[in-house]
Amino acid sequence: MPAELEFYTVDDGELSQEREQIKRLLSESDLGWDSRVETFVFCKKGAQLIACAGLDRDVVKCVAISPAFRGSSLSLQLGSELLKVALERGHFHLFLYTRPENAVLFRGWGFYPLVEAPDRVTLMENSPIAIQQYCKDLQALRRPGGKIGCIVMNANPFTLGHRYLAEIAAEACDWLHVFIVREDASMFTYTERYELASQGLSDIRNITVHHGSEYIISRATFPGYFLKGECTVDQCYTAVDLLLFREYIAPALEITHRYVGTEPICPITNKYNQDMKFWLEAANSRSLSIEVVEVPRITRHGSPISASEVRRLLQNMDLRKIKELVPESTMNLLISRFGDQRKSEMTHGVEH
Amino acid sequence: MLFLPGSKAGMLSTAFVYKPDCVMFDLEDAVSLREKDSARLMVFHILRSHVYQGIETVVRINPLNTSYGLKDLEAAVRAGADVVRLPKTDSASDIQELDAQVERIERECGRAVGSTKLLAAIESASGVINAVSIATASKRMVGIALAGFDYVIDMQSQRGDKAEPELFYARCAVLHAARAAGIDAFDVVYSDVNDDAGFLKEVELIRHLGFNGKSLIHPRQIELLHNAYAPTEKEVGYARRVIEAAEKAEREGVGVIALDGKMIDAPIVCHAQRLLQRAEASGVRR
Amino acid sequence: MRIITEAVAGTLESSDLLVKVSPSRDKTLEIHVASDVMEQFGAQIRRVVDDTLKGLAVSDGLIVIEDKGALDYAIRARVQAAVLRGAACEELRWEQLS
Repeated sequence: MPAELEFYTVDDGELSQEREQIKRLLSESDLGWDSRVETFVFCKKGAQLIACAGLDRDVVKCVAISPAFRGSSLSLQLGSELLKVALERGHFHLFLYTRPENAVLFRGWGFYPLVEAPDRVTLMENSPIAIQQYCKDLQALRRPGGKIGCIVMNANPFTLGHRYLAEIAAEACDWLHVFIVREDASMFTYTERYELASQGLSDIRNITVHHGSEYIISRATFPGYFLKGECTVDQCYTAVDLLLFREYIAPALEITHRYVGTEPICPITNKYNQDMKFWLEAANSRSLSIEVVEVPRITRHGSPISASEVRRLLQNMDLRKIKELVPESTMNLLISRFGDQRKSEMTHGVEH
Repeated sequence: MLFLPGSKAGMLSTAFVYKPDCVMFDLEDAVSLREKDSARLMVFHILRSHVYQGIETVVRINPLNTSYGLKDLEAAVRAGADVVRLPKTDSASDIQELDAQVERIERECGRAVGSTKLLAAIESASGVINAVSIATASKRMVGIALAGFDYVIDMQSQRGDKAEPELFYARCAVLHAARAAGIDAFDVVYSDVNDDAGFLKEVELIRHLGFNGKSLIHPRQIELLHNAYAPTEKEVGYARRVIEAAEKAEREGVGVIALDGKMIDAPIVCHAQRLLQRAEASGVRR
Repeated sequence: MRIITEAVAGTLESSDLLVKVSPSRDKTLEIHVASDVMEQFGAQIRRVVDDTLKGLAVSDGLIVIEDKGALDYAIRARVQAAVLRGAACEELRWEQLS
């Protein structure tokens, strides 16, 4: 009896024999295995695995259909299954990476193109209006002026280095928009980082501190950022994040300049800064180019102030040294969060 | 009776072109749990549309002891389905309970009371044993169907390839119950849609046994079934002559009908009438 | 009926439609329809959608539809299913659905 098409949903940890089949299917489409995929939806005809699609939280990747079945309704069935599974896992708003020539296929899945790094990759989302709505919200926060600056920072935690960069930028511009990276993948939660940045910049008149979003350095737009040390720099992904900035976010707020601190330590962030100059200034785009301004980091005792240094010092609870690197507002949070540890250590010491 | 999954828009929208005698919109086994609500609305709305005008409509609801069954029933009755098919009917009380609910809904929505008919699907040993009481449990009963897959599991037997002795008793029981109650009997689904020879062999068997119809899962089975049930030219010719002879005898006020020197009894006349009806419905066999 | 959560109904398959609903951010009703046959049937699709939403008294929300050539009955069914899921509504009031 000819086999029927069966759809399966399997979390990555539970894949066994299908893993090899999926890898083979992916390579037929010149795609590699992506270990970040958490769940696979795949279709089998009898024993043969003929189509698959992977979900990395809210990002769709590793979509492959066996050549013999392309152009049939299988693609749409696979898409429907995937959307249902994503929703079950709480992801309604999805992103998708694909080669530019395949974007039209995914239009049929209800995905709309956001940006394209020419001949490399297209980022899509499953809504015709999501980014437009986001930009509309941003537009409402425009400020007058001919020179509008922007900084995107993780601020993990907010240091005097961040403060310095913002001061320089705010001084040079009519207005400065500061975005805090939204992903909760850092030592300090998003809420803490946003709070510290807001407090640390509250006295500067011409700054707006914005909430980050899925469209600005997120797992969807720039996954490499969150895997520093785990993977090599990936040109494609910086392009996507930067093009989103250039083509959507900057026009919404009329941003003309992007400010970054020089990056002496982290190779990924440094590459991102260099790529910025290409994608924001030099590359062909339907959007205006944005000037990238690299500001040398402020130093203390000969070393540039960095959040990573603060985190390192925290491990040794060296609050005295940390105090030189962060503003008071940040210091207060650190003490309230970590200070008790220190006190109990001291008490312990006395008893002994 | 052509089975159509209530969740598949493509099949729902196009199956009428195959001219089945009857469609069964399935809300039970063909629909996953998370799609039950959506499929129910699909069936509700397609019944209310004109897509299947002129074709008998059946809705297979979920059993009434599930959270879906009653909602399915409301949808089916309110939307005007001709027949409600109850799966896993084990006893007469299942039908009686269904009957009561159907009547309640008919009254609530203003549908002519009694207009919704019922069909019981027998899927277990108990169902087979209770077939007669099930078939006569309600005035709304118009048919009784045997569902092979679940029945075989319940019987702890296995479906073989040929002849299927494991279904023999069940088929006979369902048939007898149908005849005793004066309703139609439907045979099991034949799931191998590419095995025409096997399908036709099974159809030959059930046609001889006297089944009125069969549950189908693929449109191409429709034509095969019609053709197998269609009488031959010769049979039609003979039946016509029988009817003529009967009419002639009545006109002449003669008590005995004769044809070709032989006496023709009432049952033969009845059979001839049914055959001509079948020819009307299925055409003549090619 | 109030849409309080994101919900989806339908599929991307031929003759069907995918309906995605989510709560409105600003108390408006926003409807987006995409279809291969937008030119010929866009207005008709929109009419059926509007009618269906009105029947359920939906006054605000974001409705995004990917149509794959669905007939009216399917549009009604999928829109209702998505809205009911989005409103987390278990009780069916048949007058609203007819």
